[in-house]
Amino acid sequence: MNRLQVEPDRCTGCESCVLTCSFAHGQQFGLHLSRIRVDRNEEQADFTPRVCIQCDEHPCIASCPVGALSIAPETGAISVAVETCTGCRSCEAACPYDGVHFSEGISEPFICDLCGGEPECVQVCRLPQAIQTVERG
Amino acid sequence: MTPPPRYEESLLEIDLSAGTVVRRTLADGMIPAFLGGRGVAARLLWDRVESAPGALAPASALIFSTGTLAGTTAPMSGRATVTCVSPATKQYFKSNIGGHFALVCKLNGVDHLLFHGAAAEPVYLWVDGPNVELRSADRLWGATVRETTRLLCTEHGEGTNVTCIGPAGEHRVAFASIMTSCYNAAGRGGVGAVMGSKKMKAIAIARPRGSRDCVDPGAFQETVVETRDALYADTMARSYFDFGTAAGISIKNELGALPAENFRSGWVDPIDELTSEFWNESGILTGKAGCGACLYNCHRHVAIPNGAYAGVHSGGPEYESVSALGTGTGVSSIGAVQRANELCNDLGLDTISAGAVIQWAMETSERGLIPLSLADGLDLRFGSEEALVRLPEMIARREGIGSLLADGLRSAAAEVGGESWRWAVETRGLEQSRVETRTTLAYALAFAVNPRGPDHLHTECLAERGNTPEAKALIERITGSRRYARGDIVDKRPEIVRWHEDIYAASDALGLCAFTTTASYGMTPERMGRLFSALTGFEADGESIMRAGQRIVTLERLINLHLGWEEKPEEYAPWRIVRETMRDRSGSEYRLPREVLIGMVREYYRLHDWDLETGIPSDGALERLDLLDLWESAG
Repeated sequence: MNRLQVEPDRCTGCESCVLTCSFAHGQQFGLHLSRIRVDRNEEQADFTPRVCIQCDEHPCIASCPVGALSIAPETGAISVAVETCTGCRSCEAACPYDGVHFSEGISEPFICDLCGGEPECVQVCRLPQAIQTVERG
Repeated sequence: MTPPPRYEESLLEIDLSAGTVVRRTLADGMIPAFLGGRGVAARLLWDRVESAPGALAPASALIFSTGTLAGTTAPMSGRATVTCVSPATKQYFKSNIGGHFALVCKLNGVDHLLFHGAAAEPVYLWVDGPNVELRSADRLWGATVRETTRLLCTEHGEGTNVTCIGPAGEHRVAFASIMTSCYNAAGRGGVGAVMGSKKMKAIAIARPRGSRDCVDPGAFQETVVETRDALYADTMARSYFDFGTAAGISIKNELGALPAENFRSGWVDPIDELTSEFWNESGILTGKAGCGACLYNCHRHVAIPNGAYAGVHSGGPEYESVSALGTGTGVSSIGAVQRANELCNDLGLDTISAGAVIQWAMETSERGLIPLSLADGLDLRFGSEEALVRLPEMIARREGIGSLLADGLRSAAAEVGGESWRWAVETRGLEQSRVETRTTLAYALAFAVNPRGPDHLHTECLAERGNTPEAKALIERITGSRRYARGDIVDKRPEIVRWHEDIYAASDALGLCAFTTTASYGMTPERMGRLFSALTGFEADGESIMRAGQRIVTLERLINLHLGWEEKPEEYAPWRIVRETMRDRSGSEYRLPREVLIGMVREYYRLHDWDLETGIPSDGALERLDLLDLWESAG
């Protein structure tokens, strides 16, 4: 199974991944609808993608008071039970990688689902390779 | 069944004199006819040229237009166009801008902004979704581009996109730029002076919380994947990522096709520090950046760690800046060149024209036409780092000799007099960009007929050199044979220019980077048509896209005719380019006789069905492009 690997030093801030993620999941283009966020320091050309990297510890799952988060067995990504989630944002606070996002007007968290196993974001970062998939160790 | 929502684009009309902002919807038919971006802006400008008495008069319009595909996943679709009457050329001018302006503007629900009038006190525009307002820029006036960006990000939050002018725009320098995302420029034509004349310091745009829909997501995605794969597979893809726009500088230098010392020569020695290979290997390349939705990420960030220029850091330098500020001035130190580049970016000066006036000052001084008193004690010899790093500030603030240079080459040469106009490498008031047009004849033709003047970012014709398999294939598609894929022959240049100007206009209108269509070639007219159609629901194919491109190019000619464009063969190329020989490193000589240019221009006009002598489009040509009514309505 794969997981995402992020190397901020390689990020160019183009936000192709952000837009691609948004379109892949909701057929809309919106930076706030993406599971990836990019922190931008344009003056220094310093950019940091923030996205779930399917870490082994997954503190988000432990933090959820209603058990809405689990690991999808087929991909190893975090799965959100939308009907159970109360939108309390505990998972967002618990993630040390800023990999969980909430967006205005949407109650459940945006967490990378690896697009079912073949992440679309990786396809638009082929030259910088700031986001890649790697085999889970 | 309810019909799908109609595709519409919004226009904010900002009257700076009255301090009002009005939101409108673009008129029906505008998008299918002009596609968006540059095309829509030209059409909007057309409606206002009659009432605009001069580029810097309050009534003049300054239009920001995002490309139709901006804010989507269409590859490299993050471009916008700034359009106005240029204070340098007094004619129609568009200047394309990258960074993240188009992306965040579009996703905030704003497609076009038209400024007119002039504020009494400095203002900036704040855009946050439906909330758009003019605010006081008193504390920003006088600030550099980076200072302005920092101040507005502090005020509105990290992630705010800032598009602004620097001191050069405030002082109405004829080649003041508008900057966005700190280092991306709408560089040419003095668009920053127009903004400054309106007391408009900046546009600050919130991190967007809006989104865009797509009429046919499946078809859109299919074309995105196909185009993306083609762009990644292009021979030049890796080179743009690894070396940026300055890729191949050492090869150009070796060939003798790198404009040097005010276009007197085609190479410099040494070149090492001015190559991107050096920046990569020496560790001074500290970052790379991409415009919205980019795949190639060609922008560099170079920081100087030690020596006389320690602490200097800036986006770039781009190829044009290296050549204009470095090889053109005879300065070979990357520290000094990057310092000058940093100053131009921060002061809001076009690096191409800034370099051009500095080179001209050096040559004029060398020829004894600049009195010492005017030189302010500056060492103005070629190779002078002191001149290179001090003049940008003096120009931007119109101090000392800077005031002579701040209105551009044509004005400076007129003031100095004598024969100094002969080495002022400009036509129509615009300094020539860094293309050695004596060795690349499609470029020479493109520069001659360009409504902006001698500049590559209107009709980039790289393919004529046949440097890659994709370029050769394109030349074969245009002309029928690969044997025309060489820059030093006249044959088929008009056909090559025609094709490139159409696709370039369509690409600008859709908000695509020029690298997708005229430097690498994955974005074909057919794919543009499919993306446009899937996004908007309007019917389009490769042919209609190219026809729209031709409509835009023709409308730009009509605007210029309306503004008093006269056909002058002496304006086809700078004097130096047609009268002096360029000798390359091997001793081969290149000339560009004016008769050759005249012949190519006439053939180009014939292809357009424009009058061979005057360049005025025939009624038939206008009718075929649905422009005849428009032209006749102007009387």
